[in-house]
Parts: sequence; C-alpha cells; structure tokens
Amino acid sequence: MSTTNQKMLPLEPPSAGGSLFASSNMLTLRAMRAIQRVPATFLPTLAMPIFQAVAFAGTYFAITKIPGFPTDRSINWFLSLSGCMGGAFSGLGLGFSAIRDIESGFMDRLRMAPTPRVALLLGPLLSSLVRTFVVLTTVLGVGYIFGARPTQGVLGILMFYLAGFGLAIVATGWGLGLAYRFRDMRGAALMQLTLFLVLFTSSAQAPMSMMQGWLLHVARVNPATNILRLSRQGFLNPPVGGVSWENTWGGLLAIVVLGTLTMWFAYTGLRKLEQ
Amino acid sequence: MTSTPIQGAPIVVQSLVRHFGSGDNLVTAVDGVDLVVEQGEIFGFLGPNGAGKSTIVRMLTTLLKPTAGHALVAGYDIVKQADLVRRSIGVALQDSAIDPLMTGTELLELQAVLYGIPRAKMHERANTLLERVGLTVAADRRVITYSGGMRRRLDLALSLIHEPTVLFLDEPTTGLDPMSRLALWEEVRRLNREGTTVFLTTQYLEEADQLADRVAIIDHGRIVRQGVPKELKAKVGAPTLVINVSVHQTDLAKSVLARFGDMRPTDEGSVAVGLVAGATGVAEVVRALDEARIDLHHLELNEPSLDDVFAEATGHRLEGATPTEAK
Amino acid sequence: MTTAVLSTPPRHTTRDSLRQTFALSKRSTLEILRQPALIAPSLIFPLFFAALGASSFGRAVGKLDGLKDVSSFLEFSLASTLAQGVLFGSTTGGTALATDIENGFMDRLLASPSTRVGILVGRLAGGSVFGALQSLFFILALYPFGVRIQGGIIGALIMVLSGALIAMSIGGFMTAMALKTGSSEAVQGAFPLVFISLFFSSAFFPRESMTGAYKAIANYNPLSYLVEGLRVLTLQGLTSQATAQALLIPIAIGVGSIALSLRQLSKRLAQQ
Repeated sequence: MSTTNQKMLPLEPPSAGGSLFASSNMLTLRAMRAIQRVPATFLPTLAMPIFQAVAFAGTYFAITKIPGFPTDRSINWFLSLSGCMGGAFSGLGLGFSAIRDIESGFMDRLRMAPTPRVALLLGPLLSSLVRTFVVLTTVLGVGYIFGARPTQGVLGILMFYLAGFGLAIVATGWGLGLAYRFRDMRGAALMQLTLFLVLFTSSAQAPMSMMQGWLLHVARVNPATNILRLSRQGFLNPPVGGVSWENTWGGLLAIVVLGTLTMWFAYTGLRKLEQ
Repeated sequence: MTSTPIQGAPIVVQSLVRHFGSGDNLVTAVDGVDLVVEQGEIFGFLGPNGAGKSTIVRMLTTLLKPTAGHALVAGYDIVKQADLVRRSIGVALQDSAIDPLMTGTELLELQAVLYGIPRAKMHERANTLLERVGLTVAADRRVITYSGGMRRRLDLALSLIHEPTVLFLDEPTTGLDPMSRLALWEEVRRLNREGTTVFLTTQYLEEADQLADRVAIIDHGRIVRQGVPKELKAKVGAPTLVINVSVHQTDLAKSVLARFGDMRPTDEGSVAVGLVAGATGVAEVVRALDEARIDLHHLELNEPSLDDVFAEATGHRLEGATPTEAK
Repeated sequence: MTTAVLSTPPRHTTRDSLRQTFALSKRSTLEILRQPALIAPSLIFPLFFAALGASSFGRAVGKLDGLKDVSSFLEFSLASTLAQGVLFGSTTGGTALATDIENGFMDRLLASPSTRVGILVGRLAGGSVFGALQSLFFILALYPFGVRIQGGIIGALIMVLSGALIAMSIGGFMTAMALKTGSSEAVQGAFPLVFISLFFSSAFFPRESMTGAYKAIANYNPLSYLVEGLRVLTLQGLTSQATAQALLIPIAIGVGSIALSLRQLSKRLAQQ
C-alpha cells in the first residue's frame, strides 16, 4: 500500500454550503411545481374541504334552528371546520411528499446537501402555507356562493386565515415527523387518522353549548376547539362569535404550543434518519 | 472555518462498525472495516449484494451514523464535521434518486442552491455540466422521459455541481446497457485525470478491473482482500481449469482433478481446480480424465481474475459478477 | 378469438360452474376477512361518527322536524351507520379484483377453464358476506347503548340482508370500475363518489329538516329511501313499505351495477 500524501488535508471545501433562505425557497418552488405538474395530488386537498362545507351545511341545515345556536346560517358554522381541515390536510400533503421522497431516495440527496437541516423543514412548511392559502381562499369563495357571510368584516376573515395557517404548521410538523419515523405509507395513514380524530372530537360539528356526554369532556380539553373558536369568531354572532381577545388567545396559544412541539418532532425525526 | 489540519488521505476509515436492529434481530452490516483511499486514485469497492457496500457508502456520505469506529472524508470527521464533509464530496447513489417531475435544468439549479453556488455562476456551471454529460438537448425535458443511462449521467452531473474533490459512485452502471456503461467509465476516467479521487462501489468484477487503481473486497461486512488488482490476481497464482461433466461423474472428476492442484469453488455442474502446472498441464489432465472414462463436455482454462481472488478469499463466487444486460 | 377448433374442450356442467363459483366466493370472503387493516376502518369509523353525532346533535332530538318522535339520536343513527359502513367496506372487493388484474392472477383464472361469470359472482358474494357481517356487527355494537330495533328479530334480519344487498350493488360498481381500469388506485379513487352520494341523501339527518336544493337532491337520491327504510325498521317497526325500501332499492341498484360489470368483463375478455 502506498503511503504518499501529496497534500495537507483538509482543504477548504469546494462548496460554501446552501443558505437557509435560498434553499428553503428552492424546495418550496419544487413543491409548487409538483402541484402544477400533477394537480391530481393536490386536488383532494382542495376538493375535500369544499365538499365538506357544502355537505355538512346542507345535511345539518336545521341545527341552526336549535335555540341559542350562534348563527342562523349553517354554512357560517361549518365553513371554519372546512378551513381548518383544509389547512391540516395541506400540511399533511407535505408529509406524504416526504414519504415519497424517502421511498424514491430523493430525501438522501437532500440530506447529503450541505444546507442547514432547518431548510429541509422550512421548505415544506412554506409550501404548505402557500397550499393553505389557496385552499382557504377557495373555501371562502365557494362558501360565499353557498351563503356564508362574515359578521365581523375583514378582521374576522383574517382570523379565519390565521387559524388555517396555524393548523397547517401543526400538521406539517406532525406529518413530517411521522414520515421520517415510519418512512412508508403506514405513516400517511397514521397522519390522517390522528388529525381527523383530533379535529372531529372538538366543537367541529356542534357548539359546546349543544354537546352532551363524552364529547363535551373531550372537546373542552381539545386544543382544536380553541383553534376552531379562533377561526369562527368572524362568522358567528356575539356573544359566541365576534372578534375578541377572549376568542383569540386560546387558539393562538394552541397554535404556538402545538406548532413548536410538532416542528420539534419533525426535526428530531429528520435526525433519526441517520440512526 | 475552524478546521483541524490532519495530514492524510482523502478517505481514512478505522474500525468502522454498523449494526441494524437490536436484541435477537441485531444485524451487523459492517463489522470493523479499515480502509485508506489515496489522493487521486479510483478506489474500487467490490462485493456481493448485502455485503455492506452501500452501508459503508451511506456512512461515509453522512447519511448514516456509525455504531462504532471513525472515518475521515476529505480530512473531516464524518460525524463531528458532517457539514464540512458534505461540502467537500459529490455523491451519485445507487437508485439515482431524481425527482421525475423536474427537468434536468431545474434539478441542477436546485442542487446548485443547496450547495451554495452563487446565482451568477449557477447557469454557466449547469450548462457546462449538461454539455459534459451530453444532456444539453434534453435539459428542459422532465426526467420521467429520460432513459436509464441519461438519468445516471444527470445524476453524475448533479454530483459534480460544486466540483468536489472526492466523488462517491455507488454502483453507477447497474442496469445500464453496455454502451452507456462504457460512456460512464470514460467519464469517470476523465474526472479522475482531472484530479478527483473516486470511491466506486460495484458488484461487477470487470468494472473494478477496468477502472480501479486499487480494490477492496468486502464480504459479510468485512474486508477480505485489499490491494492493486494485478497483485491480488498474481497472489492467487495458478490459472483455473474448469470442466463440465455429467452430474453422476462429478465426484469422480473431482477426485481426478485433485491430483493437479487445489480445488476451487465454481458454479454447480462444473468442477474447478487451480492448475499448478499452468497451460502446459492441460494435456495431462485430459489424459487422466480419459483414463478414468469421464465424459468431458467442456473445458476451459482461465487466467486468475478478481472473481478468483474473491473466491479464494471467501470460498464462494460472486453472484452476478458479470454485468447483466439491461432491459 | 380462435378461428379453428382443433379439439373439443371438455364441456362445463352446471355443477362444475357452481363448484368453481363457490370456491371463488370462499376465496374472496376469506381474503377480505384476513385483512384486519382493511376491514377495521370500515367497522370503527361508522361507530365513531355515530358516537360523535349522538353527542353533537343529541339536543336536536325532539325539537327539529323529523326528529320529534325519536327517542335517541344514536337510535336514529343506526341506519346511517350501517349504510356508511357497508359502503366503506364495499371498495375492498373491487380493489382486490383490480389487484388481481395488476398482478396477473386474473389472467391465470381466465386461462384456466373456469367459469367467467363465476369470477365476478365470487367477488360479489365475498363482498355480500362481509356486508352482512358488518350489519350484524353494528346492530350488536350499538345494542349496549340502548339501541333497539322496533322491527324485532325479523326487522334485524331484514337489515342484515339489506347490508348484504348494498354490498353487492355497490360492489358491482367497484368491480365494473376494476375491470374497466385494471387499477386498484382508480377503484379507491372512485370511493369518494360513493361517499358523496351518501352525504347528499337523508342518511345523516332527516329529510324533513332540509331545505332548498339540498333537499331536492336528497329527494332524488335513492339512498335516502334506502336509509329511511332501515330507519323505520329501527325506530317504528316492521312495515311492508320499509322492508321493500330496504331490500328492493339495493336490488334495483345491483341489477344495474352487475349488468355494468358483466359488460366490462366481456369487454375485457374480448381484448384477451
């Protein structure tokens, strides 16, 4: 075996490494292109909340007639559930993409790149927010056609967006974290199931004042109830509705806490890929 | 950048170990590997599927953490200085992982940004690389329309975006047709001439023989031979005489051949011996077989190959040692 | 298609065909039951929604039109739970058939001298057995929560039979889809359509409480009358009209869907 060493190692690496901002942007662009090229992957995320808003508002039309119901338009009530659902599934969509990237090996390419690990999370997060914006705006538009009317003006609509974006962040973290841990489609099933259960065991279908039995206990401690309250304040009549700090802080807190936890879950999951 | 200068080779591996699973399901994929790859060489890493080749490459390219042991790549520790390793190396992995929905240009641009190539230099660099691997015309087509050979070439171009000093190629020609294989070999030689150190894993003996300055043979997670191919073959010594006989005469044939040298492993239905006397001894073997009334179907005398080196070291032949035709 | 017959193939007797069909039915029934990951959601989700509805809309009972004579929302939900679960489960047969086509098992069946229609009937029979078992499961699962069937044992049996027929009729659409596309993904993709049609009916809330276009759609949706038939059997008792709704509607849908899948089968055979 030869023992000649012509150069002193290490040399200055030839690559400076990718920057957080540029890398995240590029990964977001990639996700956007994927939607543009295969719209079928995004279509369910867009269609489901719209269907849900229309179907629930139509089927449960009469619940607004129960005394004390906070709005006389059933679409006003169910619109927020759809918005939150849309945000959540937009986020999970990035979890699905991560699983596809792991299965195809593309994730290896990204992980081998000298770019901050956070960029590998921030890229998907930004694209989930863009998706959510598209979903929320479409849901609002279709909702308007079916009779939804904001009761609190622009501020109320902003709250609707805020809650949707919040759930998108939470769902992106949760989806990526599970994708990195399961690395196959079992993870996708678990993502959908858990988010679905959390969203529906809240005030998703009926206001707390109408609930009875087990659901009342679960919904009371379910953070999704807070996020739905945040989302609904611009579409319900006071005292339940109406933009107020009281209706806002619980949802904001839930988003910050859950968002931090799930994004941390995603980060540790990304690290686990090396184990 | 704080970097402790370590005098040494581009790749230094010491007692590297990697386990998968735990308890009863514990699998030792890499079992104490030592390696040194010198500056400017093409190092061939040879072994059957599942021998631990890919696991070692995944550790050296920072995708996987070792269970024990150390490794320096481009002078940097693969665990403690993973980011510096990433900035120094180029990698083209086995299942050339390329997003089929993107175009060649888009992938190169993504790669350029991830490697921090300034925007001003990005396009020029991408165009040079596309031209180099002969993909200029296909650059704006989606990768899904590329052939296997085109994908490998794009993968190679991607791995070169930052002009790395150390290049890892994990089974770069598996599944390629002979023409594409030759073209890729030529490109690897050219890169090497330009000063890139190449770490190449392969299950094809011919590929290692053709390209590598030195090879290491791995089996069951351990390096069983390491050195210059020519020297390794010379150590095996005698050429291999392989004969084919009817199944019921196999044992008889073995007993006859054993008189002429050590028996060597071979495929089922054949008998092989290291013919000590070399080519001049063939006539005598044929006579002895004839006297024993053995019906000889086929006879061949092979100069020692890397497959013989492998067989001598491990006691079995390398499966799929010769490239299979692509579909 | 062959143009010259070299030797006369052995003639099928009806008995052979029946035996083959039975064997294929058994295969597809076992195939469904052996996949807990596939069948569990179709049992658990409908129960979850029943529990959710009972807690959410319990206060509507006795107040809203169509719920005034109802004693509990859970009892009202049995019919929709059953229909929803069976619809949910009915994709499995179609998906399995598409998988058979994808992995070549279908070609092997077709290459063997087995009965062509038996392949189809086998699939649908497997789905029906599962549909009946699901229905029974939902009736028993809600029993401890006070859900009683006013139609008695006979009413319950009619509901189980209805479940089997719903599975067969929707399974017919799914097998037609499988035979047309040969892709399990396409079959699963068709599932939301089935679900949407259930939502645009009176399955989850009484038709009397709806208004406008939504009510009009529910009025035209045969699934409304099917679920309402099951609901009368649960809430009011055994009536000939409810029995007819629970049984004849899936039979009518089934005739259409099975005809459709037979057509797709012969199309696929013609391509061989």
